[in-house]
Amino acid sequence: MSKSGVRVRAIAKKELVEFVRDWRTILAILVIPLLMFPLLFILFPLLLASEAAELDALVVDVLVQGDDIPADLGLMLNNSSLNITYEPLPTIEELSSPVGDEERLRNGTVDLILRLRMNESILEYAVLYQSTSEQSLEARSRTFDVLAGWEENETIRRISDAGLDPEQTLDPLQWDGEISQSDVATSGEQAGMALSLFIPLVLSVWTFSSAIQPSIDMTAGERERGTLEALLGLPCTRMELLLGKWLAVATITGVGVLLQVAGLLFAIGYLATSDIISTPSVSLTALLLLCLAVLLFAIMVVAFELALAMRSHSVKEAGSILGPAVLIILFPALFTQVINLDGIEAFWFAVPVVNVLLALRELLMNRIVFGHVVVWLVSSSLYALGAAYYAARQFKREDIVTSLS
Amino acid sequence: MSPTLLSVRSASKRFGDVIALETIDLDIHEGEIIGLVGSNGAGKTTLLRLLSGVYRPTTGEVLLSDGTQVEQARSRLGVVPENTGLYARLTAWENIRYHARIHGVSDDEAWRRTMYFAQHLGMADVLGRHTKGFSRGMRQKTALLRALVHAPSVLLLDEPTAGLDVTSARTVRELVRQLGEQGGTVIYSTHQLAEAERVCNRIVIIHNGQVRADGTPEELLEQTNTQHLEEAYVALTADVARPRQEDDKPLSKWSSWWRGLFTPKTPKEVGEDE
Repeated sequence: MSKSGVRVRAIAKKELVEFVRDWRTILAILVIPLLMFPLLFILFPLLLASEAAELDALVVDVLVQGDDIPADLGLMLNNSSLNITYEPLPTIEELSSPVGDEERLRNGTVDLILRLRMNESILEYAVLYQSTSEQSLEARSRTFDVLAGWEENETIRRISDAGLDPEQTLDPLQWDGEISQSDVATSGEQAGMALSLFIPLVLSVWTFSSAIQPSIDMTAGERERGTLEALLGLPCTRMELLLGKWLAVATITGVGVLLQVAGLLFAIGYLATSDIISTPSVSLTALLLLCLAVLLFAIMVVAFELALAMRSHSVKEAGSILGPAVLIILFPALFTQVINLDGIEAFWFAVPVVNVLLALRELLMNRIVFGHVVVWLVSSSLYALGAAYYAARQFKREDIVTSLS
Repeated sequence: MSPTLLSVRSASKRFGDVIALETIDLDIHEGEIIGLVGSNGAGKTTLLRLLSGVYRPTTGEVLLSDGTQVEQARSRLGVVPENTGLYARLTAWENIRYHARIHGVSDDEAWRRTMYFAQHLGMADVLGRHTKGFSRGMRQKTALLRALVHAPSVLLLDEPTAGLDVTSARTVRELVRQLGEQGGTVIYSTHQLAEAERVCNRIVIIHNGQVRADGTPEELLEQTNTQHLEEAYVALTADVARPRQEDDKPLSKWSSWWRGLFTPKTPKEVGEDE
């Protein structure tokens, strides 16, 4: 290895050793991305299911006010999971007016009041509840289920009584066969489409945000702690210094992103077994191009962040610049999600940040459009070079030796 | 006279409108222990940074004996900056080895040299410890070991005894003297004249960015017609010392106005307003 290579390796290695020795940073940049998607995709649905089960187990008290309740509705109410009590309908003009019963709902004596009044052939009703109470909302949901069931039965009965066929009358337009067979897109393609809507966003935002902390620590942090001066007095060029630090930040960011993708694939694999989503079908070429796009993006982002952080005199100053800079990625990332890829103009693939995000979307959908690939490849390479040049200029500044300490 | 190792040729340094160092000519010879003496902000650190190649001179040049620009020959210099610049999450040995590797010194050679000096400094047993908990003295000694690991021709020390306890300061001075006796060249910045007198065989007095005097202690006394170096120093630096300059870039008008909005007035200023 050349002397320059040895120096770059020594710088990168030292930065990585220092990084690894701080367990808090490891937790924030490596462990959290690894666990984020499994937690989101696996534990969150489990949590929701457990919450739903808890709601099902709730005993809700419903007060039914009415004098001439249809017998079959009364039967349905009594057979439901509601705890029903009856009382006569108070004298009121509008059923939905809570006057008189407000306090009982507020203090939890009852969770819901169902008012029923027969007006010729129409059963008028109102449901009084409290939207800020889980108990009351659950009672409302179950009550509506019972009412909907009774309404359906009653509708069918009345259509039959009129001598008509209920199915032909209520459902004159019907699908024939299995709906799922009609989509010619494979399940793998559908999965690619679904994932393309958020993987580019996650990858880009995480690449940017996970590089912030190490970039600041290795540049503004060194300035603030006064360790940079000793380093600048060594026989390594500023470019070697930049390259060593870039390698270290890129390694940390790369590992963070890889772990996040691994977590994501694990979560997808788990979901695939439960038929929620399939494994996306992405060709090897698309996969390689995808890695190349992420690499070019990482070169640009890390160089840009190192440059901005090196300009700063302190960690605080660097943080206040790089923190909001996430928006530079976030806005285009959100915007890119709504761009229609069918018939998209090639110039979009030359717009900074947007180009890589669109490339990731296309590639995840296994679309390799030669013209688009050329445009994003050339433009991303130019942006990466531009960012590296800017970083090199910042590292060559003479005032980086001065520190607050 | 011993051969010249390092030459400063008509070098000056400006930071924008601020003149940190006016034109300086200085020859550093082998075996000299030079004390750069001056008050805070005199320009000692700027001169050391020019000598170590961290700063490029605005005019003039800093050359090694073979005519190489100092920037291209940093491997021949050992530098201990004022704040030592040690990495807290690395051990003392790892700090030293890091610099040795960048200097192209093998780990074995670095360890051999480190142990040689560490025994003199009483640091042999703490080389495996993280430097986070080190005292100022231990940090300074570690930085010295680090600067010596590649056997430099010239050692540049920026205020090496500042903030040290008496024993540590004495150990550092003894090491410097020992290096001088072995033919080593040391440039030693300090604002303590007495310290320079004890350690150095040549004293350069810097004041407000100018070299006011350069010679042996006897030559300085002769030059100023005084009996003691302290009197000589006072005579040479009679004008008011400027504040530190190179680290404090003037604030922009906007920054100055903004900072002023959140800066309360002193009771004196409030009284004057009323």
